[in-house]
Amino acid sequence: MTVALDRRYRSVPARLFGSPAFRMVGKRLLMAIPIMLGVSVLTFWVLNLIPGNAAQQLLGAEATPEQIRALEAQMGLNEPAVSRYFDWLGGAVTGDLGRSFVSGQDVAGQLGERLTVSAELTGLALIASVALAVPVALLAARRPDGLFDRVSMFVSVSGLSVASYVLALVLVLVFAVRFAVLPAIGYVPFAEDPVENLRGMVLPATAIAVPLFCFYTRFLRGDLVDQLQGQDYIVTAQAKGIGPWQVLLRHAFRNSSFGLITVVGLNLSTLIGSTVIIESIFAIPGLGQLMLQAINTRDVLVVQACVIVFAVVTVLANLITDLLYAVLDPRIRYGSG
Amino acid sequence: MSGERADTLAPPGSGRDAGRALLEVRDLRVRFSRGGRRVHAVNGLSYRLNAGEILAIIGESGSGKSVSARTLMGLLPPSAQVSGSARFEGTELLGMPEREMRGWRGAEIAMVFQDPARSLNPTMRIGAQITEAIRAHSDMSRKQAAARAVELLKLVHLPAAERRFYEYPHQLSGGMRQRVVIAIALAGEPRLLIADEATTALDVTTQAQIMELLLELQQRLGMAIILISHDLGLAASYAKNVVVMYAGRAVEYASAEELFAHVRMPYTQALLGAIPLLEREPHALLPVIPGQPPDPAALPAGCPFRPRCAAATDACLEPPPFEEHEPGHWWACWHPAKDPAEDPARDPGEPGGAHARPVKDGVQG
Ligand SMILES: Nc1ncnc2c1ncn2[C@@H]1O[C@H](COP(=O)(O)OP(=O)(O)OP(=O)(O)O)[C@@H](O)[C@H]1O
Ligand SMILES: [Mg+2]
Repeated sequence: MTVALDRRYRSVPARLFGSPAFRMVGKRLLMAIPIMLGVSVLTFWVLNLIPGNAAQQLLGAEATPEQIRALEAQMGLNEPAVSRYFDWLGGAVTGDLGRSFVSGQDVAGQLGERLTVSAELTGLALIASVALAVPVALLAARRPDGLFDRVSMFVSVSGLSVASYVLALVLVLVFAVRFAVLPAIGYVPFAEDPVENLRGMVLPATAIAVPLFCFYTRFLRGDLVDQLQGQDYIVTAQAKGIGPWQVLLRHAFRNSSFGLITVVGLNLSTLIGSTVIIESIFAIPGLGQLMLQAINTRDVLVVQACVIVFAVVTVLANLITDLLYAVLDPRIRYGSG
Repeated sequence: MSGERADTLAPPGSGRDAGRALLEVRDLRVRFSRGGRRVHAVNGLSYRLNAGEILAIIGESGSGKSVSARTLMGLLPPSAQVSGSARFEGTELLGMPEREMRGWRGAEIAMVFQDPARSLNPTMRIGAQITEAIRAHSDMSRKQAAARAVELLKLVHLPAAERRFYEYPHQLSGGMRQRVVIAIALAGEPRLLIADEATTALDVTTQAQIMELLLELQQRLGMAIILISHDLGLAASYAKNVVVMYAGRAVEYASAEELFAHVRMPYTQALLGAIPLLEREPHALLPVIPGQPPDPAALPAGCPFRPRCAAATDACLEPPPFEEHEPGHWWACWHPAKDPAEDPARDPGEPGGAHARPVKDGVQG
């Protein structure tokens, strides 16, 4: 007897555009608009409240009030905050984010450059943490309370209680100062020298990745053990007479991966936060460093743009998480019923 | 004389066709140790099952039915301590190394579980879940296994089997899912199928259909079935022999006809009495018997049913032996019920006594 093995798989794009997932994307992107507006108003307002503005910062403490007033007028800072905000908003919707008060550079261009650097750093940290957490969690869940499980849990609990920036300093002390095997500061663009670029990324990416790795390992291990000990479908699988690794990978991990995706997605805003700190420690010219500098010089438009980028990334990360879900989880992909 | 010894020497079911035993369980004990607390889930269970027969194991919730069944497949958590013996065609299953046990799971003994909504992997296609079971015990190619899977789906009368092959569990109804679970269980052509409340979670019509399917498969494939249930009526209609379990041990064993005609153990009587007359409720999952089943962490001394038994006397402080008191009829009780025929002037206060007859007619008619 033969069976027509026509796989009823539809291609990924067909699945996406034809599905409720596609409508969800549209809805989410629309919802992102008020979020962006809110974030920009808030940033503008807070920066307005902090004493000092870009003109004062640029001219320094020696400047006379006349000089300051002249520069303020030149920068447009003497206008009321509300009209400045709407000026900025008018430009922003057409893609013009204005010019930096400090460097005079086009903000949008500056952002693009910095964004690739930050994206490389966060991307490396994220990939490394997940790629390591998955096998460690699987090995730990294979024998709950076994030696490997205990050791890895001890390591990950300790790792979780160490802040990224503390870890960064320790890493610098050990690998850059004591053994001098990796650079502590100095960023080389990937296009210039890929090897040096990656060498420079090792310490900062590790500092970001370690707490993430610990968190993901603990989460995934816990979820896997819950599946293995509490779910009937696991017993069905075991009763088939298949091996323990097959039960773990094909059954438990498949189901646990949804939880992991959610956690990784939700965690992304924390990840951005630690990137900001790590970039300034390792002098990496990323978005975080740019934003911190701009806050110090009250370079409002640059801060504004950075904050908006972070908000966009967070919204997109959540959206991608949900989309991954929709593509991976058959219950969502095919609707229920 | 010691009941223990009787258990271990000749489990119920031995006798005329003692040579054909497929499964022989003797003095099975399972204890869970959880942080100093010991739960005695199974306390000396013995029974015997011949090839191709249906044996029902009946008892209230917590009486150790599922635990004793999972023991046979080596599917207990590490906190379980097992003793006794369970021989499958002469091979000892208890204490078998995990690797070896894997060769028996699915291939010789398979299991169908209570809740079909939970016993399938929600993220895997039906076909993949069946072919996985097929390929666990054969070296069929993917293609051959897929063809065999569709055959199995047809065998369990799943409509549109070829299409269902590519679907996910959530796209199927409860009854269809249970058919898939049964197809998975049949994949290794087992000689023993354990149906652990396989119909409990289904509506009445579907329940009957699944039971008919199991019966048909048992007859077509010559498979033995252990039918675990709360439901005496189900046992009466489908099983050849019935083991009644209470607090982790067998308290009555007989052929289905014998048991319903001459029920002896007050607990079984109470179970019968707990089944409403004429028509049973669609979801009479738990027969209601006054009092609580004993806590398996603190079993009473003597007969475990004593605290709930209307016939109990001081004699019951001594554990009653589980013995073959009449040919083919075993029970563990100091005060077995008499037949209504033998003793028409029966104490009406005896639990379930007045109901025993009509129920038997009701469930079998
Ligand atoms: N993993 C475990 N750890 C500790 N105790 C357990 C475990 N599994 C079962 N038990 C206990 O063993 C006893 C017997 O449980 P079992 O599941 O065999 O009952 P059952 O007769 O199948 O009941 P039901 O009809 O509700 O399915 C119960 O008291 C239960 O709490
Ligand atoms: Mg049970």
